[in-house]
Amino acid sequence: MPSLMETIPAENRMMLLRGPLDESPLGFFLTNERGGLEYVSREAARIIGFESSEEAREYSLHDIEPAIDCGLVEGFSDVLKGHNFQKTEHICTNRQGHFAVLNIFCSPYHDTDDRITGMFGIIQDVTESYHEKTRLEEAHYVLSIISQISAALSSKAELDEVLRMILIGVTAYQGLGFNRAFLFLADEEQNCLEGKMAIGPGSPEEAHEVWSRLAGKHKTLLELLNDYRTNEKAINNNISSLIADWRIPLDKPSIFKRALDNAEGLKISSAEDLKPESIEILNRLNTDKLAMAPIISKGRKLGLIAADNKITGRDITDSTVALLQTLANTSAVAIERSQLYDNILERADELEKINRRLEESQEQIVRAEKMSVIGELTSSIAHELRNPLMVIGGFANMMLSTGDGGENAEYLNIILSETQRAESVLHQVLDFSRASRTRSRAIEFNPLVVKAYNNFLSRLKFKQKKPKLSLSGNDIKVWGNPDQLQHVLYQFIRLTVEDMTEECNIQISTGLNGNMVRLTIGFEGDDEARRKVVKTLSQIFGSSTGTQKLSMLVAGETIRYHGGNYGVEGSAENLPRLYLELPQIKGGYDG
Amino acid sequence: MDNRVLVVDDEEHVRKLYMNALSRKGYEVDTAADGEEALTIIKQRDINAVILDIELEEESGLELLKRFKSVRPELPIILNTAYSVYMSDFKTWVADAYIVKSSDMQPLIDKLDELMGIPQE
Repeated sequence: MPSLMETIPAENRMMLLRGPLDESPLGFFLTNERGGLEYVSREAARIIGFESSEEAREYSLHDIEPAIDCGLVEGFSDVLKGHNFQKTEHICTNRQGHFAVLNIFCSPYHDTDDRITGMFGIIQDVTESYHEKTRLEEAHYVLSIISQISAALSSKAELDEVLRMILIGVTAYQGLGFNRAFLFLADEEQNCLEGKMAIGPGSPEEAHEVWSRLAGKHKTLLELLNDYRTNEKAINNNISSLIADWRIPLDKPSIFKRALDNAEGLKISSAEDLKPESIEILNRLNTDKLAMAPIISKGRKLGLIAADNKITGRDITDSTVALLQTLANTSAVAIERSQLYDNILERADELEKINRRLEESQEQIVRAEKMSVIGELTSSIAHELRNPLMVIGGFANMMLSTGDGGENAEYLNIILSETQRAESVLHQVLDFSRASRTRSRAIEFNPLVVKAYNNFLSRLKFKQKKPKLSLSGNDIKVWGNPDQLQHVLYQFIRLTVEDMTEECNIQISTGLNGNMVRLTIGFEGDDEARRKVVKTLSQIFGSSTGTQKLSMLVAGETIRYHGGNYGVEGSAENLPRLYLELPQIKGGYDG
Repeated sequence: MDNRVLVVDDEEHVRKLYMNALSRKGYEVDTAADGEEALTIIKQRDINAVILDIELEEESGLELLKRFKSVRPELPIILNTAYSVYMSDFKTWVADAYIVKSSDMQPLIDKLDELMGIPQE
């Protein structure tokens, strides 16, 4: 038994369905065997670009195919042979010239005798969802780029590495795809931007060579970023020299200042209407189209990324500028973190130095305490020795002076001279011991030398030549026990100079040698003077065991205790020169 | 003759040395090992000068100096010690001279001659 529908003639069936189909969000249409449109629902008419369903019935598939351009005419032939025709997300422009994305499904239309008498089509407008999908894909693309660059940046702390990665992200084909990128960092003190780094090819030939090589490697952006060291040579070139040492003042209007002040990306498409400062920027970068994105973190202007398509000439779109700005925002965090990292390293370095100084101070305190104990001990021993020495020497002296020595006079003389020598040593030790009781402090070096020099002059006899004294013009200070250092300088001058005042012209001078304060004693004279100087210095610094040597040992130990050193310098042409060095302390040092 | 000298030192050998050396120079020498003995001698004998050690066992030479001067303000006193540090102690300024002990006794003798008005050799 035939169904109700089958009892209705085919040409009338659509008339029955017309009401429900016109209300549907899908579009429907029916053609006859020749392709003429028999029925077009309201939605189908809108999608194809007809004013109304009625208007559509005056046309055929051949009329709408040029606009929709989906192969419907060829498909119609197949449908008449019993096949289906389908197109998904077909992008076209409808008869009204509107962009449209369509899903189309067509199947044969049968009459009651099951003959194919036309084509029944369903047409769906998916333009909105297509746009949505495109937007999602773009967002995914952007997120993917930013995510990969962020991932790469998060593993780097060195500022140079961070900057290089940012620029690779901007220029890599897998990234933002700009031809060239320039990075400037803000100098807050000087209120200017300073050119730091740039990458990109310098010429079309170079671009071809580099881009072909990189394309052949088929790397993801993340791989490219992580391999930046191996690509460094391939990507880098002297384009950085374009901006090296370039300082752009931020107190004059320019495109860079505008981007920073507005805190948003900026695109320049021509140099027209630009101020001279901005034109100078474009000229220096040798471009007329430029995208810029300020790097700002928590309101602090850190720098700016500029990029262009100098080689390909491709237009810079607003969306690319927006993407560049997104990258700049991500970079801001990395740059700030890197700068903080540098600060931490600097602080750590300072702390280490302070620690080292503290350790040295502690060592000095320990040494000072030891020296103090030794000083007390030696002082006590020295005093105990003085009485017996006086008694021994006194009796020897008395016997000699009264002639009681007889044939032992020679031995008495030996006893007396050795006693006097021992007393002289005691004198040195007691002087040093007394000096060690004074507290250490910062001392002006020149007055200390002048005092020692004047003390020395008072010892000179009338005929002896005075050494010349030349003081450094600098305000030089040392740290130490003033009495001890005074004693040391005096001993140093006395021991080395006293015996040579007749043969040599002597020059005593003060100055700086790096971080050391230096006292130099220079000699001038003939060969006889040279012999004398060498002999005297050998006695003092050589392996002899005389009183002079002992005094120099005490003086030397004191110099070393104060962190200094002393010695002899010489050359074949000049006479030997003595020097004594102590660490310089600078203003503000409180010990 | 006004050339009687008192040597105050707690070390016997020092006293003996001074006794011999000064006697040979023509001085009459008395010696004392501590303050009490020295004060007794000063009160009993006509002492013209004192050579006084500072680091004594029982009583500081500086205390003794004060006591000697309170008894005989005009008595010349030479402080004679192994320590040069006392030179800056104002208590020593009351003394007429300060000489550091040495095997060379000439400076001491010179000072003694000067204080007692004896012409130097």
